[in-house]
Amino acid sequence: MTTMEEYNNGSEGSFNSEEADAIVKECIEGVVGADDYSQSLVNKWTAGIVERCLTQLVKQGKAYKYIVTCAVMQKTGAGLHTANSCYWDTAMDGSCTVRWENRTMYCVVSVFAVAVA
Amino acid sequence: MEGSDTYLIRPNPQNKFKPAIVKECIREIVRERLSGKRYEPEEVPELSRSLAESIKDRVKNAGFDKYKLVVQVVIGEQRGEGVKMSSKCFWDADTDNHAEDLFINVCTFCSVHSDYSGGEGAKFKSI
Repeated sequence: MTTMEEYNNGSEGSFNSEEADAIVKECIEGVVGADDYSQSLVNKWTAGIVERCLTQLVKQGKAYKYIVTCAVMQKTGAGLHTANSCYWDTAMDGSCTVRWENRTMYCVVSVFAVAVA
Repeated sequence: MEGSDTYLIRPNPQNKFKPAIVKECIREIVRERLSGKRYEPEEVPELSRSLAESIKDRVKNAGFDKYKLVVQVVIGEQRGEGVKMSSKCFWDADTDNHAEDLFINVCTFCSVHSDYSGGEGAKFKSI
């Protein structure tokens, strides 16, 4: 009678959203910091924020796939809402959304982490 | 003699992601729910949440129930402000993909982004 060996990394719990929150905040500050909203720079900013967040998250070495989205909006008094709906394993997968602002713009970054196997 | 389990870790070619189909699902739902609507601050939170739910359910029922899905909906008011959205993913390029759609009317814009990632394992018992 043979038994199957179980390979599982029992030390990995669910997604740590506080850690991700801290990483994202740091990345936003690093890219945008004290700058004022600029139409010509906004492309570079969103790309930079998303790239930096993803790199830092992957560096943690956890067995997750990541999806990072970033929206930068000029402050004019207009409203903005984001909502998300996910079909996944609630024990292992998770998300975190960070809202950041300075004098002239809002920045909303969402991170979705989906466990691999 | 004990049977061994077989796990399906990649989707069948028939069930593979089809971004075009998902984009069409998204487009239909958004146009149906948002055409002619104004941006109302009291309504928008509920509207964006229910849009995300409906889209997730529609995509799930379109044959992608073995996938994990992430649907994000962004609704904003048009007041001449500049907005830029960007996204990047770290996943398995063979099985994962995304579909998106943008809807703009006179006073609102709505951007929907839906990602599939990872086929769920399906267990088969073989004797």
